[in-house]
Amino acid sequence: MSIAVERTRTAGSSGGGAADVLRRFVRSDRFARAASYVFLLLLWWLASVYEDRFPAPLETFQFLWVEVTGGSHGGVVRGEFLEHFASTLPRFGLGIAISMVLGIAVGVVIGGSKWAEALFKDTLLVLLALPAIIWAFLTQMWFGLGDDAVVITTFLSAFPFVAVNVVQGIQAIPRELRRMSRAFHVPRYKRLRHMQVPAVTGYIFAGFRFAVIVGWNAVLLSEWFSSSEGVGWRSRYWYDANRYRGFLAWVILFIGFIVLLDRLVLVRLQRRAFRWRDAQASAIEREAEEIDIGVKGA
Amino acid sequence: MAQTTTTTAGHGPRGTAHLSLAARRRIRGVAGLLIGAGGFLLLWTILSRFVFGEFILPPPLEIGREMWEIVESGAFATNFWATIERLLYGFGLALAIGFPVGYLMGTSRWWRAFFHDMVMVAGSIPGITYAVLALVLFGISILGPVVSVALVSMPYIAINVAEGLDSVDRKLVTMSDAFGRQRSAVVRHVLIPTIMPFAFAGVRLSIALAWKVEQLTEVFGSSSGIGFQIRREFEDFSIPGTLAWVFLFILFMLLVERFILVRLERYLFRWRIEDQA
Repeated sequence: MSIAVERTRTAGSSGGGAADVLRRFVRSDRFARAASYVFLLLLWWLASVYEDRFPAPLETFQFLWVEVTGGSHGGVVRGEFLEHFASTLPRFGLGIAISMVLGIAVGVVIGGSKWAEALFKDTLLVLLALPAIIWAFLTQMWFGLGDDAVVITTFLSAFPFVAVNVVQGIQAIPRELRRMSRAFHVPRYKRLRHMQVPAVTGYIFAGFRFAVIVGWNAVLLSEWFSSSEGVGWRSRYWYDANRYRGFLAWVILFIGFIVLLDRLVLVRLQRRAFRWRDAQASAIEREAEEIDIGVKGA
Repeated sequence: MAQTTTTTAGHGPRGTAHLSLAARRRIRGVAGLLIGAGGFLLLWTILSRFVFGEFILPPPLEIGREMWEIVESGAFATNFWATIERLLYGFGLALAIGFPVGYLMGTSRWWRAFFHDMVMVAGSIPGITYAVLALVLFGISILGPVVSVALVSMPYIAINVAEGLDSVDRKLVTMSDAFGRQRSAVVRHVLIPTIMPFAFAGVRLSIALAWKVEQLTEVFGSSSGIGFQIRREFEDFSIPGTLAWVFLFILFMLLVERFILVRLERYLFRWRIEDQA
């Protein structure tokens, strides 16, 4: 197999010289990653050649710089970046907080009782599958423009992901442990404290991570349709003004935000919380697990 | 499921009076579904009548009538077919790219490092990015939703194929080599059967996300499909219309999930005996 081929090839390249150093560098992981970014930029540039309306990388980054620093606008629009993130983040945080509290509560109820599961599991799966755009539309019609619609859209989109993960966590508690605790009449709060909470913690972290990722999309969408400030609104502003490089600059900002948050904080939390479970897993198994955004429950 | 139920019930000492665990679970499932649905409709009626008012939350009957009109007028069939068609093209494209990428990732370190960041980041990119960029790039055309679906699904298929390759029994491959099996035979009888369940898992995972992104793409840049219809109703400020399409969408999605995908899974993996119990 080519795995073996690869290994012998790298092991066999022992002839010295600059050419060899170069070869080793080209074959290194770091070079591969750098190459992938160059490849993406190239794709982006090709897209801008293919379609005139699509902005090229350079002009987009120039625009991005102006949005962040104020640039040559002489400080008139200085702080656009901060201002809009400052109005989006509280809404986002509130929506996530509500979905965590309710999601854990609902998850514990559904996971704890067979009847509750039979009654509500399907509703939960439907909620899981509903696109955030539907909530964005409905909440705009229900609550009008403003914070309410945005917070509620974020909450409604993120909540089922938390609940489903908590249900999974509770159901992952070994059956023997549950039966034994019942047989020995362990009090409810003790069962909660010593059995359910420790088992569920990892799943709550995972649910939190998915809620953040899904909620970020929801908050942007809802701001796009029912707000007059915030990151989502600002992207729409440039989009409606036909200044696609402005739109793309904000796309980079909001993707950058969530990717950094996810890779630097959330994935690490999740990995830590699941250490006990995934110790045996290979790197690629772990990665497959990580990009699976909570849809496993379905 | 059904087979085990009848056999255990028939052989049990107390006959059919004592229901097996599986049968009980099934009864609980059906009852739960019925009671759940009934309770949901009741709650909805109460909320619409007494809490929010019928303008904000139209009663179930009105939505039902609206849904029936949509189905009867044929709008349902055309729009759903439009959506499904794009979804299929998108998945086709995703499989066509995802398999080779997954193969590269599963067999070569360099390529794995190359695709690593793209695959890991793809899941956290907000769907709105795909929707609007597709609109800017392709205008209002079928290409937008198709490319979006493909881009969203591809990483899942790729990483699952790579995971599948990772789990290939090395000894089996070595033995095949030792006994002089041809490479094509190894691919046909060892690699593909191992990878298939993983690839299918990738498809199933990505369907959930692909649906959503496709809806969104249709909302932004399409002239047919469910997403487009939902947007049209939204722009008419018609709550019953929006809800009617949403519920049709839910029904349809459940149908696809429960019947088509489950059947397909059963058919593809009919050789795995342990799964039939």
